[in-house]
Amino acid sequence: MVLDNEAVQALLDPTHRKHRTVLAHLEVRNQRQRGRRANLRVLVPVAVRVEAGWDRTAATAADINRISSAVDVDLRRAGADRAVQLRQTADVSVVDATVGQAAESATHPAVILTSDVDDMTRLAATLEGDVRIIGI
Amino acid sequence: MDDAVAELFEAVQRLHDEDATVVTSVRLSSSLREAVKAAVRAGMDANPNDAMLNAVRDRLEAFAQRLALDLHYERYPDARPSLAEVAVAAAQLDDSPLAHELDLLRRAADEVVRLKPDADADDVLVYAAALRSGQAAHGTTSPAAATS
Repeated sequence: MVLDNEAVQALLDPTHRKHRTVLAHLEVRNQRQRGRRANLRVLVPVAVRVEAGWDRTAATAADINRISSAVDVDLRRAGADRAVQLRQTADVSVVDATVGQAAESATHPAVILTSDVDDMTRLAATLEGDVRIIGI
Repeated sequence: MDDAVAELFEAVQRLHDEDATVVTSVRLSSSLREAVKAAVRAGMDANPNDAMLNAVRDRLEAFAQRLALDLHYERYPDARPSLAEVAVAAAQLDDSPLAHELDLLRRAADEVVRLKPDADADDVLVYAAALRSGQAAHGTTSPAAATS
């Protein structure tokens, strides 16, 4: 499960109107992992963290660090090259391209949790593997 | 939050960092050791060490996340999603057609907790599928009625 910018924004702010919606997805992850029914990893591209202002060392990030269990997806050389290709092919933002790259490099089937369904659907169509979009 | 929980949160967040390793001893039953070795041969993980580490890591992450979510809901009670909302998320993650049947999922969530107070999202999905199947096959309104 890859988080985009608004999914992170929603998690950061308990008053955000989509906070519960994103938490519902994290609940599924937790219920299934505790029941050993599935191992669904939560991923956040580092560019998304930058855009959303998620500094893991900040005191204000303590909650999201803990409740999300999200693992950072770093952008190394090959990943950066792939993000460039995706940006050019799907005409998406730099950050969205890294979301696509993270989803593509994740275990499949993968999902992208996003508020930008149109752009992400266009992006997903260019990705290799089984990547779906879930609108929040 | 007590010290052990705080220490757990701090340690769990470092689980995916590249880290120095330590050798430690764990007492295993011989049957568990044999089962792990057989599972590795069957393709579960690359080696017995990875198999053990992955199992422990997954349990730790799930346990810590559960604690964190419950603490979050203590501070922000309105943030807790309902069982029906979690079921919708589960259906979306599964790409299930039930994801589009919000009324059915709400009803299933209402009914299933009467039968199983600790029901989770997957219980709701199974119940909702049974509701729908019962309606289609018998024109009945609940799984219990469909089987009577």
